[in-house]
Amino acid sequence: MNRSRFLWLIASFVTAAGLVWIWQVVADNRLVNPVFLPGPDRAWMALVRGFTTGDLDVKLLATVERMFWGWLVASLVGVALGAAIGTSPRLRAYLSPMLEFLRPLPASATIPVAIALLGLSDGMVLAVVAFGALWPVLLATVHGFSAVEPRLYEVGRALGLSRAAVIGKIALPSASPDILAGMRLGLTVALILSVVCEMIAGRDGLGTWILLAARSFRAPDLYAGVILLGLLGYATAVAIGLLEARLLVWRSRSR
Amino acid sequence: MMQTQLQQGGSAPVISFDRVTLAFGDRTVINELSLDVAGGQIVCIIGPSGCGKTTALRMAGGLIRPNGGSVRLLGETLTAPRRDVAIVFQDYGKALLPWRTAAANVSLALEAAGVPRSERPARIRLLLAKVGLTGHEDKYPTEMSGGMQQRIQIARCLAQEPAVLLMDEPFGALDAMTRQGLQDEMLSIVAETGTTVFFVTHDLEEAVYLGDRVIGLLANPGRIGIDLSVDLPRPRNQLETREMPEFLRLRRQLFDFIEKAEG
Repeated sequence: MNRSRFLWLIASFVTAAGLVWIWQVVADNRLVNPVFLPGPDRAWMALVRGFTTGDLDVKLLATVERMFWGWLVASLVGVALGAAIGTSPRLRAYLSPMLEFLRPLPASATIPVAIALLGLSDGMVLAVVAFGALWPVLLATVHGFSAVEPRLYEVGRALGLSRAAVIGKIALPSASPDILAGMRLGLTVALILSVVCEMIAGRDGLGTWILLAARSFRAPDLYAGVILLGLLGYATAVAIGLLEARLLVWRSRSR
Repeated sequence: MMQTQLQQGGSAPVISFDRVTLAFGDRTVINELSLDVAGGQIVCIIGPSGCGKTTALRMAGGLIRPNGGSVRLLGETLTAPRRDVAIVFQDYGKALLPWRTAAANVSLALEAAGVPRSERPARIRLLLAKVGLTGHEDKYPTEMSGGMQQRIQIARCLAQEPAVLLMDEPFGALDAMTRQGLQDEMLSIVAETGTTVFFVTHDLEEAVYLGDRVIGLLANPGRIGIDLSVDLPRPRNQLETREMPEFLRLRRQLFDFIEKAEG
């Protein structure tokens, strides 16, 4: 079991390394104009240069902060609102048509509205990121809470649990796998929207770094930014994965 | 708990159905059911499917309220579930919290009753020992067999220190060997605590083996069709009791009743 997992891990790294190698060969043989496609070596050097002599670390941190705060607000609001809607069939009946209307709206389409209301500010970015990341969390939470085994509610009644205890000890843990899945999606949306907001509203961060590099034909810098975004997305996915493994031990330990 | 039972004496019923009627829509499920269960007795309810035996149990647990008549517990009319009435559900897989270990599942009842955190571990150990789960405290329900899961649920119900134990076909989903083992464990626990038991089953032999009294319900609408008292000596024994002429006679009587009720 552990052995095969280890082999799979090696296989996936070999695949990744192979793709980087192909990229290097394509760049070295100038199959694509080097103005548009630098090799991984030049992209890597640009990345290192960005951190040592440039201010890429500051920009990375700015993007991470935007993503994190937006995601946190979305998660808190999403879980609270989702719990209220998911536990009340009446609220669900009232609100679901509106939720279904708002949900498919591309969050980036809300940026002009947000700019009109809040200006080109960090508050605007926070609002857009939080709004976009809210939906996956909210819908997953509603689903999680409405799918709680009815028998468990009866157990709660028979034991004389308070309403707060029923939510905290029965409904919330029961919905937690759904909630975590929603928060994982929300984090991806938050990263995308942070970068898009930076690009559109000119807030300093990885988004502007990439945009400016592209406009001045500094391809290695552009790729360095994209690589960094990829790494950031990967790191957040790993972090959520660890959180899930910790909170959902019971799911992996079945007979 | 001992005191309440002494006060109750032998005469006052612990559970009392008084002309209870229940309808779902225009279908009458139970009609004018009157039934008194004396303290410390094990009363088994049998009957054809749809006779309302589980419904009667749910009313005794305060999960459903009757449309007419009243259900009284220790003299008080029941309007909602009470902590001193514990319910063992048949589907242990759904009635346990899969994210809690065996110990933490039992703890839920103690948390609900407001038992201080420091007192819980010792009581949980004792309760799990009582149902033979010592050494399995930290396992999750999904890591355990059906019989063991049902034991967790019984331990959680015992944590309520119930005056009344309502059991809804608790051993129906278990294999024959496990079922007999749990029957005997339940009998010895109940003999020790003097708990009153309301036991719904579709297994006629189980009803005679466990009960002090067996009540057969008729369907459409649910009402009492037969009421037998079981005078078999205790403690009961899976082989000897089941071979006694009285056991066989009662089994035959219930068998005929069910055949007629379903025919």
